[in-house]
Amino acid sequence: MKIKVLSIPVQDQEKALKFYTETLGFIKKVDVPLSEENRWLTVVNKEEQDGAEILLEPSPKHFEPAKTYQKALFDAGIPYTQFNVENVQQEYDRLNNLGVEFSVNPTEMGTVKIAVFNDTCGNKIQIVEML
Amino acid sequence: MTFYQKEINRIKGICYSNDRQIQTVIGMRNYIENNFDKELNLDLLSHIRFTSKFHLLRLFKKYYGQTPRQYLIDKRITKSKIYLRMGMSVSETCYSVGFESPSSFSTLFKKKTGKTPTDFQKEQFSQSQSKVDS
Repeated sequence: MKIKVLSIPVQDQEKALKFYTETLGFIKKVDVPLSEENRWLTVVNKEEQDGAEILLEPSPKHFEPAKTYQKALFDAGIPYTQFNVENVQQEYDRLNNLGVEFSVNPTEMGTVKIAVFNDTCGNKIQIVEML
Repeated sequence: MTFYQKEINRIKGICYSNDRQIQTVIGMRNYIENNFDKELNLDLLSHIRFTSKFHLLRLFKKYYGQTPRQYLIDKRITKSKIYLRMGMSVSETCYSVGFESPSSFSTLFKKKTGKTPTDFQKEQFSQSQSKVDS
């Protein structure tokens, strides 16, 4: 078995695509139209385009428990997932300038530095730098 | 304050309260990052940090979840992928990242990535060629 796709639930796929590409800097890899307005929509890291894909899946729109779970995590400030960065402070400054809202400012936790932001699609996302 | 922020503070207090230990392992990781192409010298490291090398090994594993040796191998493999992509030969890559024998490098590379360095390199070139063609 291989790890090829990891999914993030999003409330609005088009809005998510815009945020994950234009703001976070991922690039679109696969976009397959499915039923109604739903798509199989994945993004990848620019430098690792053959690496794992993030599936922006519209589950909160169609499956009530997914919506409930997503909201509970969000309200508790718990990140849905995390991405690694070279420098948390620099990434924080860059995203802050683009108007991204942070619920945890850059914080050292032992051997890592973390920060948590709102992805505007219903999730908190954590960025991590290994110290 | 959110539940998560409270948890961060709680876990910090439990797991990361020993600043001296943390500075020691961070220093060790930085040393490996900058000297991955050399033989890992725990005697030197323990000398700098005024502590026994067995203690250093235990600390590193406690905070990073990997032994320094495992960490070093991963670092070397990551770096060798970069060198192979740049077109460096397999044996040159092997020595540049600090391995001593091309055959054991190839075996280890295959174990970690699923491909031999030669196959990995061929694949990279055919991928970049198809990008140029398309």
